[in-house]
Amino acid sequence: MSQPSAERMIEARGVQKWYPNGFHALRGVDLTVHRGEVVVIMGPSGSGKSTFIRTFNALEDFQQGTISVDGRALSNDLRDIDAIRREVGMVFQQFNLFPHLTVLENLTLAPIQVRKRPKAEVEEQAYALLHRVGIREQADKYPGQLSGGQQQRVAIARSLCMEPRILLFDEPTSSLDPEMVREVLEVMRNLAADGMTMVVVTHEVGFAREVAHRVVLMAEGEVVEEADPATFFTNPSHERSRQFLAQIL
Amino acid sequence: MSPSLPQRLRRELMATPTDAVVSLVLIVAITAAAVGFLRWALFKAQWVVIQANSTLFAVGRYPIEQQWRLWLLVTLLTAATGLGWGLLRGRRWPLHDRIAAGLLTALALWAPAALSLSLAIQLRWWALTALLLALRWAVGVWGPGWWSGLSPLGQRLLPLGWPLLYLTGMVLISGGLGLTPVSPSEWGGLMLTLLMASFAMLLSFPLGVALALARRSDLPLLRWGSVLYIEFIRGAPLITLLFLGQNILGFLLPGGVAPDRVWRAAWVLTFFCAAYLAEAVRSGLAAVPRGQFEAARALGLTVPQSLARVVLPQALRTALPTMVGQFISLLQDTTLLSLIGLLDLLGTARSVMANPAYLGKNAEVYFTLAVLFWCCCAALGLGSRALERRLDTSRSTTNPSDSAPSPAVA
Repeated sequence: MSQPSAERMIEARGVQKWYPNGFHALRGVDLTVHRGEVVVIMGPSGSGKSTFIRTFNALEDFQQGTISVDGRALSNDLRDIDAIRREVGMVFQQFNLFPHLTVLENLTLAPIQVRKRPKAEVEEQAYALLHRVGIREQADKYPGQLSGGQQQRVAIARSLCMEPRILLFDEPTSSLDPEMVREVLEVMRNLAADGMTMVVVTHEVGFAREVAHRVVLMAEGEVVEEADPATFFTNPSHERSRQFLAQIL
Repeated sequence: MSPSLPQRLRRELMATPTDAVVSLVLIVAITAAAVGFLRWALFKAQWVVIQANSTLFAVGRYPIEQQWRLWLLVTLLTAATGLGWGLLRGRRWPLHDRIAAGLLTALALWAPAALSLSLAIQLRWWALTALLLALRWAVGVWGPGWWSGLSPLGQRLLPLGWPLLYLTGMVLISGGLGLTPVSPSEWGGLMLTLLMASFAMLLSFPLGVALALARRSDLPLLRWGSVLYIEFIRGAPLITLLFLGQNILGFLLPGGVAPDRVWRAAWVLTFFCAAYLAEAVRSGLAAVPRGQFEAARALGLTVPQSLARVVLPQALRTALPTMVGQFISLLQDTTLLSLIGLLDLLGTARSVMANPAYLGKNAEVYFTLAVLFWCCCAALGLGSRALERRLDTSRSTTNPSDSAPSPAVA
């Protein structure tokens, strides 16, 4: 496993978020993610873990606290947000591939439109990425013609095509059939081995045990426990963690 | 083994005694109606009212010495259609194309003679049909090679020929740029109907999309302005708006934009249609999952890029059938122009029927009108379905819905 460096890629301090209906979703969350580190966030549904990682690329706003990503503070300045989004890739539970574009076009859209890179060069890179996630031959198909596992691998390749410095995964395997979970986790495992900085919200205990540098347990909008996987799964220090583990293990 | 025709008819029409009775009654009724209609159309109807006024129905009172401009426009349109058709299909002649070519040929052979047009005009009609089919064939053979040899910029610029052609048509019809001006009050017939409808369709589309986006905007002023506009227009009958437009549109639009009764009506049709299109587009936008926009934004696309590249293409695809339905209504709504005194198809027809020489020929005139409108609407509907099929990306080669229907039990 590659070792994280000391450089701080994500730094969240005292993040608080209320939804417009008054629900207090995040109650002062702290988290630091170093370069090359894989952090897995676990927790019961409704604990705010998805909301939390969605604040990193400003898909959700927050009312108090600070977040800085790759040295840039998240503010209301739209140019800063766009700059951060260019460096932070996100993989969604529902894949969110663009159904009206081919697999190849899904990959090349953002690099051509946002980074203004030449089409031929981007396509070459896209083919290489599709090869890397094992679906080179599906490049000209539309997302609707692929299986769920294939779609999620396309979604990962699409994020990678922007050459992000951080990848966020929001329950990437939760809407997959069990037999397809493995192929997606395999791709993520390889990414981690290559030293990608990753924040992964997931319920996959095996993945967390094997790949994560750190596991974070969230409940009711707070970080309950933060530990290396070996400690977290065998000897958690909080009662809330033991309850959660008893439910999922 | 598939059952023979009599067997199939028997199974589908006479499966139970009740089915048999219903089928028999319907067959008798339909046959009686068809015989009655044919007897009227072939023996009783006096089509001379159509023959004598065919030019009037086509272009209204457009000056005869300037009508060459309209022929030129029709020729340009025909050429552009042949070009586009050929490029789209290449060497292939699928069943639809063969049917279309057959129908066009039959129309060219039958219609000019049936209308007892002068030989010169008959010849033009034949020449136009020949031009269309010849271009379709020639471009189909040599066009694709030429197209792939074109630079990417050229490929992107070529479709701009259509709007350019539309502007050229406007100039040809209305004059200016060295051509003798023909005032809109002299336009009429099918030409005016198609011109009004196409003008309103082309302009109401971007307006409708803008209104739909405004209605979903975060800016309250934009949102409420759009809601107010859409609900006001949708709450008022078109005919009221047309009369209102004749009276107040001159005050609302900057001077010179709406100088004339015909153009005022065209703008009213545009504004009217835009409100309905906006609702169609809005339902299309609502059908695009929120995650599509989030994924686009997460990839770093700006809001306009996300809308233009990701959200709108999907929303418009969903809204397409509703929008085309709206366009078809719009085409039919142009008949209301006759009520504000314009000589569109219906207005022309009313003026013809008011002529003492053609008293009592209403059925012939209205029937012709109905057929003309039906042809235009059918063309819109066919075009929309073809576009839908082209845009449908969910169909795969292994899609079960594509496979043959399960064999009937013998």
